[in-house]
Amino acid sequence: MKLTRRNFLAWAGLSAVGAVACDVFGEDRRELKVQSPVMQPEDLVKGTDNWYATLCRQCPTNEGIVVRVMEGRAKKVQGNPDYPVNLGKQAARCDAGLQSLYHPDRIAGPMKRVGPKGTGEFAPITWDQGLNDLKAALASHGDGLLLITEPVRAHSAMIADKFAKAFNGTHLGFEAFDQGVYRTAVKSVFGQDTLPDFDIGSANYLLSFGADFLSTWVSPTRWSIGYGAFRDSSNGGHRGTHVHIDPRFSMTASNADKWLPVTPGVEGHLALSIAHVIIAEGLQADGVDIDQLTSGRGAGALSDYSPERVGPMLNLHEDILHGHSGADLIKELAREFASHTPALAIGGDSSSAYSNGLFNAEAIYALNYLVGSVGRQVAFSPESPLSDLPSSANVGGLGDWAEHISDIKNGKTALVMVHNADPVYGLPESSGMGEALSSDSVFVVSFSSFIDDTAVMADLILPDRNYLEDWGSDIPEPGPGHQVIGIQQPVVNPLSELDPRSFGDVLLAIGQELGKESDLPWTSVKQALRETSDSLYDMNKGSVSGSTKDIYWNSMLRNGGWWDASSDPVTVQAPSGILNDIASRGSEAKFSGDGFYLIPFLHNTLLDGRNAHLPWAQSAPDPVTSVAWQTWVEINEKQMEGLGIREGDVVSLTSNAGRITAPAYPNPGMPPDIVGVPLGQGHKHGPDYATVGDAKDSANVIDILSAVRVDGTRSLAWASNRVQVQPTGDSVRVTKLEGEYESREIGNIIDNNPGEEIIKTTTPGEEHH
Amino acid sequence: MVSNRIDHKWGMVVDIDKCTGCQACVIACQAENNIPLNTKDTFLQKRVNEWIRIERYWEGEYPNVKARYIPVLCQHCDNAPCEPVCPMYATYHNDQGLNVQVYNRCVGTRYCINNCPYQVRFFNYWHPGWPERLENQLNPDVTVRSRGITEKCTFCVQRLRRAELKVERQSGNRLNDEALEKGNYAPACVHACPTSALTFGDQHDDGAKIRSYFDDVNAHNIHHEHERETRGYRLMEEVNTRPNVIYLKKVDQYPLGKGDGHV
Repeated sequence: MKLTRRNFLAWAGLSAVGAVACDVFGEDRRELKVQSPVMQPEDLVKGTDNWYATLCRQCPTNEGIVVRVMEGRAKKVQGNPDYPVNLGKQAARCDAGLQSLYHPDRIAGPMKRVGPKGTGEFAPITWDQGLNDLKAALASHGDGLLLITEPVRAHSAMIADKFAKAFNGTHLGFEAFDQGVYRTAVKSVFGQDTLPDFDIGSANYLLSFGADFLSTWVSPTRWSIGYGAFRDSSNGGHRGTHVHIDPRFSMTASNADKWLPVTPGVEGHLALSIAHVIIAEGLQADGVDIDQLTSGRGAGALSDYSPERVGPMLNLHEDILHGHSGADLIKELAREFASHTPALAIGGDSSSAYSNGLFNAEAIYALNYLVGSVGRQVAFSPESPLSDLPSSANVGGLGDWAEHISDIKNGKTALVMVHNADPVYGLPESSGMGEALSSDSVFVVSFSSFIDDTAVMADLILPDRNYLEDWGSDIPEPGPGHQVIGIQQPVVNPLSELDPRSFGDVLLAIGQELGKESDLPWTSVKQALRETSDSLYDMNKGSVSGSTKDIYWNSMLRNGGWWDASSDPVTVQAPSGILNDIASRGSEAKFSGDGFYLIPFLHNTLLDGRNAHLPWAQSAPDPVTSVAWQTWVEINEKQMEGLGIREGDVVSLTSNAGRITAPAYPNPGMPPDIVGVPLGQGHKHGPDYATVGDAKDSANVIDILSAVRVDGTRSLAWASNRVQVQPTGDSVRVTKLEGEYESREIGNIIDNNPGEEIIKTTTPGEEHH
Repeated sequence: MVSNRIDHKWGMVVDIDKCTGCQACVIACQAENNIPLNTKDTFLQKRVNEWIRIERYWEGEYPNVKARYIPVLCQHCDNAPCEPVCPMYATYHNDQGLNVQVYNRCVGTRYCINNCPYQVRFFNYWHPGWPERLENQLNPDVTVRSRGITEKCTFCVQRLRRAELKVERQSGNRLNDEALEKGNYAPACVHACPTSALTFGDQHDDGAKIRSYFDDVNAHNIHHEHERETRGYRLMEEVNTRPNVIYLKKVDQYPLGKGDGHV
């Protein structure tokens, strides 16, 4: 008899009788009172699962993950508890990555363009045809090719670099908002080529400038783990104080103990002014050699940055100053920062994306010398034990792309290969990338698993395996302060209806067939990884052990990689007169256009749009606004009232470079002269989930950024635009979680003293007005 | 039939001071528990299904403004208002402190949803549809709920059952904090949370990290909240639902509205 809902009720009635009968046989009474003796769903746990360690590829951090696999299907992604970077924790992005594996719109197999370029008309071909076409393209116009990938390190970077070099070409990583400025600042302030690790957990005082480090900046999961420890006073520790300096009310700003909304572009001046106070008042940490940092000039080296001069530049609201001057605030901030050691200063995102971003970043990071946290809270991992494995991603900036675009246009580059990158979406429209790739004179090969704004321009699509089906590796950057090599292994096979091939393996195979064996000697990525494992075995150090090379290799796969906690961080020596040098480079930020300052930001889960095809990433509400599935424009609530704009009214943002439209969201925290717009939406081509919006509620803010560089770098100055905001007359409903629920109590206690407290029932945003 | 169990009483402590609002718990939960996709339409219909969600509250306005985050999930109340109103006994309290929903008893009266003061019960207005290929990801340990069924957070009971089978039945060890963490047996949200704002454990285990908070809050009822030694409180204590989820208050170093001249 088929069990339907209706006859289930009959069964339930019968089993109540059964319950009484069973009671006689001595079953536990407690269990049976309200529970019929049918098997409860909660008891149905069947089958055996396996957890495989590998690497996540959903953001440039490449966190270590374990994947639960049952009957050949991946079920759940979780942080790898042993992996030194993320210690068992994961971001929402890692979970969402599973949907890229079983995504309905994955490209099933190789395809060839049949319609005009850019129209997305493709016809399926066989792999033999596809590889022959690629070989022919390489042989005829491969010389000077451009290979664009996501930011990659270790074996993926080594193979891509060698491949490009073998054809006289270039390999560059692509990120919409690259870390070029940060990298340059780290080089000049600390003399290092890799990015530093921050031990936030051990700090007492954290001063952050612009960087949305709890959400998207560099290695957010790692910083969040530290932040949890930073906030923890349960083990007799001290709860740290966090001050965030940022013109935009970001997720990180919302978590800080104090948020200082300074006018955009003055962050570097503020940092040097803090340094000025510390030196003038002799507040530096013990053992800090001020003479060395200032070539003997002391506070005089920073005379242009006295609090009296910088204070008014900050343009802080009088309700923050409480009748004091900006100079007073800087002095108090400097004294707090210097007296609450260990202290840490970090900066990034908007603070390094103005025209003077490099100066800002250098000034901010130099503060760490004054409080003695370099080498302690700011640590540099030692170089990889295998020197041929790149431990930094070689990511292009706007300057690099401009050169390559002109090479494509003038015919120097006739072959462009793209893997897991979408530069047509992620570069400002005025850069001309889309126009260059749509020309018939360049042959574009995409290795993407999904159609996106770049893949649609391709002449040939050779879909890669998903990262959960493929081999790979990573040297995390920033590392955890010691040597790490993470290993990515296939946890499942591709589904039978899909026919992808590993990008790395294709490069190796093609390279060898075209006579480049000396550059690319491996038959597969797996073989290259195995050679690394064997070299590590011979070194006989680190976390992995094994009596034979095979056992060692298996053990390394089981752990998700190799690391050597005994390897010491690099010792950093402050460059002589560093503060004088930075002070001499000080400049004010220049903005193009007029009106509101436009501060774009990476979306919490979509990042720069690379995850827009994943429904979980799309549906995760933005932490601050709770908006999902849409682009929104964050404007100060009162400012909106003044402009006659209500929530959901579609507004146009007009910059010198273009115009977009998106619904407005009233943010009571946003300064009145700032608008914030997330990246992530506004894809012209792609899976349904990525293109669900229309022109009213989905826009790509990169389109209206002027192609201006940060002074002294090759990176895009993405926070240097001002825009006009105007209602379009249209209105849409904002797809947000806010207002769906009644209010709840948020208990606050003051300064960790349970005796003094306020328990508030604050109302959600809807009722706020 | 489950019997002869070690007597657990599960509970969770949520430290609001550590929650940054990052959404890692929200997506980890959806991946673990076969929660239907929250499409753009479900947001427009105000029918978003998140067994754990992050609520954000505004306090003040520019320039003295704070956004507060609070993760809200089923509170697994000892005096659960959802339980007595169910005509089908579809929701009941099990012997481990969990408020459990028996999907194949639920007929969709939604009385429980109306009666839950925490708004953490969700109704399947439509058949939960996934694109066919995405169904490969569904967790075989968790029932896919059909249309007309109410669903809610289970404290990832499927993980606890697997843990009991593997740790307690097979090796005879007690399922303590360490065993929960080591075997990936704690709820998915707890494992994911990067700042460790969520802590899960057994209130009957003397060594559990959550124990001191429960002891403190249990010993001091609502009328004596100032005597508590920890930051612990329960949501809506005045309705006396006795949740098995305890919140730790946000620590405010610079509370708003305290214009004491401190810049």
